[in-house]
Amino acid sequence: MSARLELRGLSREYGGSVAPALSDLHLTVPAGSCTAVVGPSGSGKTTVLRLTSGLDRPDSGDVLVDGQSVLAVAPEQRGMAMVFQRPLLFPHRNVLDNVAFSALVRGVSRRHARAEAAEYLALVHLSDLARRHPTELSGGQAQRVALARALAARPRVLLLDEPFSALDAPLAQEMHELVREVRYAVNPTIVLVTHDQAEAAALSDRVAVLSAGRLMQHDELDRIYNRPASLVVARQMGGRNEIPGIVHGHHHRSALGNLRLPVDVRPRQGAGVLVFRHEAVHVTDTADSGADAIGTVTALRPVGARRLLTVEVVPVAATPERGCSVLVHAETPPGHRATVGDQVGLRLSPHALAVVPPDAADGTAAVGVTPFPPRTRRRSKTAGRPRATGRELRTPP
Amino acid sequence: MTTPLRTVRRTLVLLLLVWFALPLAPLVLWASSDTWRGASPLPQEWGVQAFTASLGDGVTSALLGSLAIGVVVAALATPAGAMAARALRLGTLKRPRLVASLLLAPVALPPFAVVMGLDVVLLRLHVPAALGVVLVLTVAALPYTTYLMRAAYVAYDFDYEDEARTLGASDLAIWWRVRLPLLAPGIAGATFLAFLVGWSDYIVTLLVGGGRLVTLPILIASTASGTGSEPRVAALSIAALAPPTVALALAALLRHRLLSARPHTTGKPKAPSPVHAVTLPRGAT
Repeated sequence: MSARLELRGLSREYGGSVAPALSDLHLTVPAGSCTAVVGPSGSGKTTVLRLTSGLDRPDSGDVLVDGQSVLAVAPEQRGMAMVFQRPLLFPHRNVLDNVAFSALVRGVSRRHARAEAAEYLALVHLSDLARRHPTELSGGQAQRVALARALAARPRVLLLDEPFSALDAPLAQEMHELVREVRYAVNPTIVLVTHDQAEAAALSDRVAVLSAGRLMQHDELDRIYNRPASLVVARQMGGRNEIPGIVHGHHHRSALGNLRLPVDVRPRQGAGVLVFRHEAVHVTDTADSGADAIGTVTALRPVGARRLLTVEVVPVAATPERGCSVLVHAETPPGHRATVGDQVGLRLSPHALAVVPPDAADGTAAVGVTPFPPRTRRRSKTAGRPRATGRELRTPP
Repeated sequence: MTTPLRTVRRTLVLLLLVWFALPLAPLVLWASSDTWRGASPLPQEWGVQAFTASLGDGVTSALLGSLAIGVVVAALATPAGAMAARALRLGTLKRPRLVASLLLAPVALPPFAVVMGLDVVLLRLHVPAALGVVLVLTVAALPYTTYLMRAAYVAYDFDYEDEARTLGASDLAIWWRVRLPLLAPGIAGATFLAFLVGWSDYIVTLLVGGGRLVTLPILIASTASGTGSEPRVAALSIAALAPPTVALALAALLRHRLLSARPHTTGKPKAPSPVHAVTLPRGAT
């Protein structure tokens, strides 16, 4: 069932728009794997799926399935089923006949098509709703039926266009579990389009980040999170920490001090932005001798059971390399008691550090930086003092 | 709905029914009267003489003539209107407003003047009378079918076609299994209106048909002017009214039965079944 999908230099421009919807996209999805295409609205995600499925034609480039070009093949013969954001269940057919649709149009007898459809309904745990009308289903049930209907078409590549974005969080998590079950059962090649990096992380093996129609990075999940190629990728994947500074040798010098970079990070010398996940920052107290920096909590925001802290770190002496104060975001586990105005120590996970080129002309990151310490915030005498200026972080071998 | 509102609504519905039924009452009375003289509020003698006399007037052939014209006009104007509506909805036309105006023009123009002009053209082109009538009536029906199909296409979601295509449906399969069923209510309405344009036409049949085509409206008019017999005219009018009314009632009944046959649940849909064992082995498909 699964096949290797390859997109070679796909470009698409729509009349009336200034920028192309998609520009020279190269993407390979190995057979049986799941690649999530992540990007903001208008980044060209859905265009990728429409060009792949054949519902739209590219201006240039090619679509290959198992090494064979399918550009000249009609969408109905490409063997690519698509699940859209809306379930789009045919309102004049009941659930079973919706799932049996692909078999019926293949010319299978109604009895056999229904028997086959029943198997796929069982796969999505909806056997007892076979005789229901689509209007009698909840949103989650309807999307399950849509998934079963797409699988019943026995696609070589399954295309999912933000199929769970309209569902509430618990329902979306149920659907994620279901997709994992389906992957185990039928092992399809999946291209999932989503704007939700958490959904991409939950379902995919690899992530492709799109921005303004261009592929910014296509990599394994861990590398996308911890080794983003650019600020755009870091931000799209929910990264919050961007510390401007200077790369010198294998170190990054900033308001956080002189930090040694992991061995696999090889940034350009000169201006560079240190990026790391807020989940990779461990909040300790000021007495922690292992803390990499000390700062003042300036904001708190609950994120479920955990909390997101914004900590302002001010360098001891402002130099061109260290710059001014920076904001560090850290996620604390349940039960952590820091409040606004508290002094806290920060430990950065050495493996999580990466450096990306600055995206602004002046070499600074666009967010996460305060040029001057805010006047209204409380600060103690030791606020913002890096624990050990020039101290090197421990890095994994 | 609260009780006073319900009462007001029922009263309005009743008044509307009376409004529609009232003009039919004299027809029924005249048609079923054998003798009705003087200022008597009701016929002195009841009977079916008017209907039996109408049979001798050639009502059967006139009825078949009207039926044929209605069916052919509906068969031509409905798909033409559907195609025009689809093109207008998809925005594939270069000047959609001009095309829409041209399609709706037959409603705006005075029919008598148009038909008089067209009659001359058709005569010069030696177009047979029956064909001329059907062609002109099809054009006359086109605004109605286009308008109804445009409304149907506004509610139609083209994403269903994309979905069907990725599930392996060819153009023909999409037309038959997706587009036609989803547009069925609009198509039925458009067909019915187009049929009525052909079925009830008088002016075009008279002028373009040149008196050789006898349809029910032509027969009613000639009976009214020739015999002056109110019972016979009333009987013919009922014969003209009955087929479309019965067809409409049957369509409504069928729709009601179809909707009733559909399983109906109230309240929240049932939760999905407990997790079953996955029945398909890995890579089975």
